[in-house]
Amino acid sequence: MNIAAPFEAVIKRIKKETRDTFTLTLRVKDRAIRKEYGFTPGQFNMLYVPGIGEAAISICSATWREDIRHTIRVAGDVTTAISNLKGGDVIGVRGPFGRGWPMEMLKGNDLMIMAGGLGIAPFRSLLRQILREKEEGARYFLLYGAKTPKDIIYRNEFPRYGEVFEVLLTVDKADPEEYWKGDMGVVTNLLKKINIIPEKTIAFICGPEIMMQSSIKELINMGLSEDSIYISMERHMNCGMGVCGHCMFGPKFICKDGPVFSYTDIIEFLGEREI
Amino acid sequence: MKHNFYMEPLTIRKEALGDIIKDLSNRGYRVIGPTVRGGTIGLDNITAIEDLPVGYGDRQVTGGYSLFKHERPYFFGFSNGPDSLKRFLNPPYQRLFAIKKRAKGFETMIYEYEGSPFAFIGIRACDLRALHILDMVFEKDPFYQAERKEIFIIAVNCIFPSNTCFCPSMNSGPEVKYGFDLLLTEFDEDFLMEVGSKKGLNAIEGVHHKEAAGADIEKKRGLIDSSSKSIKKTLDTEGLPTLLYREFENPWWADIANRDLSCGNCTMVCPTCFCNTSNDTSSLDGKTATRIRCWDSCFSVNFALVHGGNFRPSRRARYRQWMTHKLAYWINQFGVSGCVGCGRCITWCPAGIDITEELMAIRISGKRR
Repeated sequence: MNIAAPFEAVIKRIKKETRDTFTLTLRVKDRAIRKEYGFTPGQFNMLYVPGIGEAAISICSATWREDIRHTIRVAGDVTTAISNLKGGDVIGVRGPFGRGWPMEMLKGNDLMIMAGGLGIAPFRSLLRQILREKEEGARYFLLYGAKTPKDIIYRNEFPRYGEVFEVLLTVDKADPEEYWKGDMGVVTNLLKKINIIPEKTIAFICGPEIMMQSSIKELINMGLSEDSIYISMERHMNCGMGVCGHCMFGPKFICKDGPVFSYTDIIEFLGEREI
Repeated sequence: MKHNFYMEPLTIRKEALGDIIKDLSNRGYRVIGPTVRGGTIGLDNITAIEDLPVGYGDRQVTGGYSLFKHERPYFFGFSNGPDSLKRFLNPPYQRLFAIKKRAKGFETMIYEYEGSPFAFIGIRACDLRALHILDMVFEKDPFYQAERKEIFIIAVNCIFPSNTCFCPSMNSGPEVKYGFDLLLTEFDEDFLMEVGSKKGLNAIEGVHHKEAAGADIEKKRGLIDSSSKSIKKTLDTEGLPTLLYREFENPWWADIANRDLSCGNCTMVCPTCFCNTSNDTSSLDGKTATRIRCWDSCFSVNFALVHGGNFRPSRRARYRQWMTHKLAYWINQFGVSGCVGCGRCITWCPAGIDITEELMAIRISGKRR
């Protein structure tokens, strides 16, 4: 298979998540590719609308499912074109690309997931995985911040995650028309409400860069070591395989060295102006 | 990399190069070599030795290039022009695949390699290093690899380096040590020829040659030494890559930005700059589309644009990205510098920006701070 060319996938289902996000369920057309396709939570695909272009979107389905899911926010030309597709339409897919969450780190550790906004999407397959095969004795935290209660993605799934995770949600502002009994404020505030054992906690973070930076700062204050923190980065992706240069972040190609990085790997570059 | 010579050096008449070119064409190669084009020496299709810039020399300075005629009819009496191998192996405009919409879905047609490999004539040591670097960059790229696999290279030892060259600093020249099928060193009357591969050996089967005299090998040594000594420009690699990682906020970057036009010329002529953008062009009825990969440049204003913002809006950041990638990030990414010391970015910069001087300025102002 030429990884520079897309394969076909049929849109089986479109689910509206929030006012500007939706989830596609895709079925790869070619049986051989469908069987061969496998990914790690945190990896991404390039979704292609013929004649329009491609967008890098993280995969959010469970790894054992044959169908591939993507949660997408309507932002540019491609995601707008995707949002205009209907069930039964065909979309192009290249992938999976990049390195996902370091699953081997889950062994013997507690896990802290911190997500901001659409940053919850790259965690969904990981959440499903942990529901299925959680470590005996390990503690799991899920801290999630959204703009308003209406912007909480996968809202109806949180009760299920709550069976394994200590789930804490926060919003920037509560809609006046909706009853909201959760927290308000930035996601790092939620860290004050929990007790962790810093030596045996690893943290996976995904969200806006500024949110990830402040989360890292807080976690390190709480006693986490630099090498127990992982973040998922975003840059412009064009080729997906490290030959176009668009996604470079310092010496890293986000598309092939990331999008998930150990904090220690990018510590010199995170927070530099216009890097 | 180890020397790879198949036999003792040979001597051939200069005209015999024409026989080799013809023979390569007959074997189905697309022969590419230096030729005068638009007031420069570029790389283009060659069918006979008459196409080579015989007798031409070049003068290269910071932001300047001109041709002149030597008194002797040297075949390779010039230094590198703006073109390098990347123009052929990673072309500026490359079709990757075409798609045709059907009632449900689409058909994909990948543009496969057409099967007539390039033979490159007159390639210098710096550009062979660049080739070795591109091989690593495009290791997983099926399009590059297909073009790359079958190429034939006739290299030349560079004995007329230009004022903008600094290959000794990058340890990449002027002597060719690896990566060729045939290697020429030009003397006044003939060529010293070395064979670097089985393919090279086959290519000279029908060519009249004789074993080189011991004095000729001495002569080659002497020419390379004097070439090396004539290269005055240097780039101080001491402390790279970390030196530049400390200098992200050096005020000198803003000084460069005041002179920099952000035109991207340096990235176009650089033999290792590989950044590109793939876009779809579609037919008016929207039923077919072609994915085209075009050279792009980290100097393009929208190069790091994502929805919601541009990661490098300022020229300061874009120049810094280019130089830091070339001289520092590259070492982390591929284990070697991205700079081969060919000096093209200096010659072809319309603003006269010289990477060796800017690095020195960053180094000195960094120390002062």
